[in-house]
Amino acid sequence: MCGIAGIHAYLDVAPRVDRGELVRMNDRMVARGPDGSGLWLSEDDRTGFGHLRLAIIDLSEGGAQPMHSDDGRLTITFNGEIYNYRELRAELQARGRTFRSGSDTEVLLQLYAEYGAAMVSRLRGMFAFGLWDADKRTLLLARDPLGIKPLYWADDGWTVRFASQAKALLAGGAVSRDPDPAGIVGFHLFGSVPEPFTVWRSIQSLPAGTTLTVDATGPGIPQRYYDHTAALVERAASSLGSAGSHARVAEAVRDSVRNHLVADVPVAVFLSAGIDSGALLGTMAGLGVRDITAVTLGFQEFEGLSLDEAPLAAEVAARYGARHIVRTVDRAEFERDLPALLDAMDLPTVDGINTWFVAKAAHEAGIKVALSGLGADECFGGYPSFTDVPRSVHWLRPVSWLPGLGALARRALTGAIAAGLRVHPKTAGVLQYGGNWAGAYLLRRSVYMPWELDDVLDPALVEEGLRRLKPLSRIAAAIHGGHMLGDFDRVSALETSLYMRNQLLRDADWAGMSHSIEIRVPFVDPVFLAALPPGPVLAGMNAKDAIAGVPNPPLPDSVRHRRKTGFSTPHGRWLRDAAGAPRQHGIDLSAASRAWALNVWRAGWTGPAAV
Amino acid sequence: MGSRILALVGDCYGARGGIARYNQDLFDSLADGSVEILILARHGDARGMVLPTGVRQNPPIFGRFSFSLASIVAAWRFRPIDTVFCGHVFMAPLGFLLARLFGAHYWLQAHGTDIWKDRRGLVRRLIEYADLVTTVSRETRRILLAWVDLPPERVRVLPDTVQDVFAPGPAPAALRDRLKLGAGPILLTVGRLASNERYKGHEPVFSVLAGLREKFPDLIHVVAGDGDDRARLEAVADELAPGAVRFLGFVPDADLPDLYRLADLYVMPSTEEGFGIVYLEAAACGLRVVGGKGGGTADAIPDERVGVIVDPTDRPALAAAIEEQLQRGRADPAAVEPYRQAHFVAAARALYARLSTQPRRMTSGL
Repeated sequence: MCGIAGIHAYLDVAPRVDRGELVRMNDRMVARGPDGSGLWLSEDDRTGFGHLRLAIIDLSEGGAQPMHSDDGRLTITFNGEIYNYRELRAELQARGRTFRSGSDTEVLLQLYAEYGAAMVSRLRGMFAFGLWDADKRTLLLARDPLGIKPLYWADDGWTVRFASQAKALLAGGAVSRDPDPAGIVGFHLFGSVPEPFTVWRSIQSLPAGTTLTVDATGPGIPQRYYDHTAALVERAASSLGSAGSHARVAEAVRDSVRNHLVADVPVAVFLSAGIDSGALLGTMAGLGVRDITAVTLGFQEFEGLSLDEAPLAAEVAARYGARHIVRTVDRAEFERDLPALLDAMDLPTVDGINTWFVAKAAHEAGIKVALSGLGADECFGGYPSFTDVPRSVHWLRPVSWLPGLGALARRALTGAIAAGLRVHPKTAGVLQYGGNWAGAYLLRRSVYMPWELDDVLDPALVEEGLRRLKPLSRIAAAIHGGHMLGDFDRVSALETSLYMRNQLLRDADWAGMSHSIEIRVPFVDPVFLAALPPGPVLAGMNAKDAIAGVPNPPLPDSVRHRRKTGFSTPHGRWLRDAAGAPRQHGIDLSAASRAWALNVWRAGWTGPAAV
Repeated sequence: MGSRILALVGDCYGARGGIARYNQDLFDSLADGSVEILILARHGDARGMVLPTGVRQNPPIFGRFSFSLASIVAAWRFRPIDTVFCGHVFMAPLGFLLARLFGAHYWLQAHGTDIWKDRRGLVRRLIEYADLVTTVSRETRRILLAWVDLPPERVRVLPDTVQDVFAPGPAPAALRDRLKLGAGPILLTVGRLASNERYKGHEPVFSVLAGLREKFPDLIHVVAGDGDDRARLEAVADELAPGAVRFLGFVPDADLPDLYRLADLYVMPSTEEGFGIVYLEAAACGLRVVGGKGGGTADAIPDERVGVIVDPTDRPALAAAIEEQLQRGRADPAAVEPYRQAHFVAAARALYARLSTQPRRMTSGL
C-alpha cells in the first residue's frame, strides 16, 4: 500500500521538475506511508517520482521506492499489492531473470522489462503505479482492473502530474483548481464523483482497468485492458450449469482469501454482523491463520437495536477464535473527527464515515492490513437493486414507449409533492426513468435526480455539467456489450462499475489510508469473479447463504437469517442535532441523505480557497 | 505513398503576422519529404515563393462563401486526404465537413482570442469532433477545456518557435544615432497599435515614464508598430510623458533583431497575448522583458532568466519591475533554447505521427 506521486515535463519548453512540488505532494499524503518516504529525480530533472511507504511485503530497505531496475533504465513508484508476485517471480526466474529483493515492486519492474505495458494483464492484485522507461522516454501509468487503488493525473499541456490523491496534486501548487461542472453534478446525482471526472477540470481519474502512456507528445488515449462487462459475458457463456455451484463458490472464496493473505505482517479483518465479513473470518481460520484480530464498529445510539452489529459480530469472532475489538463511537468523537475527515476526503462522497472509524480503531490496535467484505453485495446480489431495477424495467418499459408521458407525469407529481403530497421527491420520476436500465438504476442510486439539481446548484453549472456528464449514457455504458446478460449480471455490472468503483472503493482508500490501514477486498478480484458460477446460477442459488456455508463450521443461523441493514451510522442525526434542527423520532438511517451531501459539498472544494 | 494534409488557413506563406508565421513554421516542419500538404488560404499570395518539398499553396480566396466552395473542389481533386488541418476556429464548420466527407483526421488549431470567448452551440459541437486540437499556450488550452467537452489528452500544446535570426549581437550604435535616441536607457515595445488591441499595455507604460525619468533622466520609450490607434496613443504619450516616447511606425521583421540589440528592456504589459512570441524574440537577442499578467504570456516568459510578468493595473508594481529589470542587465539566451526551431520541428512531427496512428473518428461520407 502506499502513496505515489510523480511529475514529468514532456515538452522541451516545460520547466524542470520542481523537487519542492514533489515534496508538497508527498506531504499531503503522509498518512498513506508512515514507514518511509522516497524522492527521485532523473538526471536531466525532467522526471521525478515521490513515494510514501507502508511496508507490508519485504519490510527491508530492499522494498524501498522509487525503485530502479539494475541497469537504471526503469524506475517505478507503486501503490498496492501484487498477490501473485511469487508465481510471476518464479516464472521470470525461469526465463533467466535474477532478483535482488523479495518485494513485489521488483517483480513489476522485471515484468515490464519482459512484456512492456501488456504486463498489467498478468497481475493479480490492487495497484496503481507510474513507471519511467528512460530508453523509450515514456511514462506508463496503470490502475488495477476494478479500481481498488486510485490514480489521478493532471496535464497542463507541458507537464503531466500524477498522484494517489487528487488533493495531493492540488497541494503541489501547480495544478489549477478550476471547477468541473460534470464532476460536481455527478456528485449531487450519485453521491460520489463518477470517473474519469473529479470536481476539478484539470484533474482526471485514470479509469479502472486502463493504462496511460505519456510520450514526447504528452498523455496518449487511455487504453483499456480489462472490461468487467465483457468478463461477465464470458462467464455467462461458459457452459457450466448449476451442478456443483456451491462447491465452486466455496473454492472461489477460499482461493481469493488465500491470495489476499500474502503479507509479511499480520492480516486482520473488519467484521460486521453480516455474512460477507463473517465468511472472510471463517475462511481465514479454516486456512489455518492463527491469532486473527477482528474489528467491529459500534454506536451508542444503536445499543439494544437490531442495527447494533457488536453482539452478532462477537458471536462470529468467538466461533472462529478471533481476538475481537469492538470500538464504540459517540457523537462527541464524530464531531471531533469531522474536520479531519472532510480534509482527508479526497473527492466529495456521501459515504466513508464507517470506514474512517473502523480504520481508526484498527490503527489504534496496531493493525496494518485488514480484509473487508466490500464487493460481495455486487457479485452475490446483496442489494435491493437486484430485484428493484429489473422489476422496474420490465413493468415500465411499455410506458416508456409513449413519448412525453413520463415527463408529463413527473411534472404533475413534482407539483403535487411541492403542494404537500408525502412521497419521496424521486418518486416523481418513476414513469420517466424507470422503464430502462440506466434510468431505473439512476432512480435507485441517486441522491438527487437531474430535474432537482437546479434547486441546489447554479442552473448554468447544472446545464454544463449534465451536458458533459451525460449521466444516462454513462450508466448505460457500464453494461455496453452486455445485451446477452441476464438481469442479475446486468445489475451486478452496474453496481460494480458505478457504485462500488466510484464510491465504496474510493472511500475505502481515503478513509483507510488516513489511518495507515491497507484494506484488502477478496470479493473484488477478476480471478475470483471469473471462478464464480454464471449470473443466472448465482441468482437462483441464494448465493449469500452459500458463502455463509464456506467456513467450517458455517456461520451461525443468527447471522444467516439477519435482515440486511447495510452499514449504518447515526451521523445524519448528529449533523442535524449540531445544526439545531428539530429531533425526529427513532433512528434516521440517512447515510446517503441529501442533507449530508449538501454538508459535504458546502465544506468547500473548488476555487482558490478550497482544500 | 506518404500522407496527405489539406490545410485550411486564414493566412500562411506570403502573408504577415504571427499566425501566418506560425502556420509557415508548422508546415515547414511537417514537410519531411514524405508528406504532401495543400494549403488553402484566405490571405497571402505564395506565387513565386519557394515552398518546402511537398507543400503547395493555392492562390488566396478572401470571400467566405467562395473560399468554402473552392475548398470543397480543391479537396475533391486532392483526395485521398489523411488529415484536414483547420487553422482557425471560424473555419471549424468547413473543416469538419471536409474531414467528414473524406473520412480524414480532423486537426484544429486554436491560437488564443479565437477561443477565449466560449461559443456554445454549433461551433462548440464541431470543435468536439476534432481528433486533435493544438493550442499555442497552456492558458489557451485551459480556457478551451473549460467550455468544450474534449478529453484532455486530445488537446495538445505546440508553442510558437523563435527564428534563428533572433540572436545576441553587438548593439548597433549607428542606429541609435540615426534614430536620435540619446545616451539614456531605451525601453522598447513592438506591436500593432490597433484600437481592438489596447490590451497590449502601451498606456500603462506611458503613465509610469515620468516617474522613471526621475531616476533615469534620459530614458526613452521606443514604440515600433502602426495601426488605427496610433494618433490617439501619440496624444496620450504627449500628455503623460512629453518627449519620452518615440513612435517609429512599422518596422520590417528584418530590422527587429537590431532594434532588440539596441534596446535595454522590452516592455509590453499585455494582458491578452495568445502566446507572446515577441517576448521570446526579444529575449533571444539578449533583451530582458516585462510582460503582462493574463493570456499565454506565462508560456513565453518561462522564468526570471528572461524577465518578469506584472499586473499592468498595478502601476507602482509596473514601475518597480521596469526599474529592477533595467538594472539586471541582459537576458540569458539559453532560456530561449527550447523554443528554437529544432525543438518545434520534433514536436510538430511527433504530434502528426501520433495523430496518424490514432483511429479516425470520422469515416468517409462518400
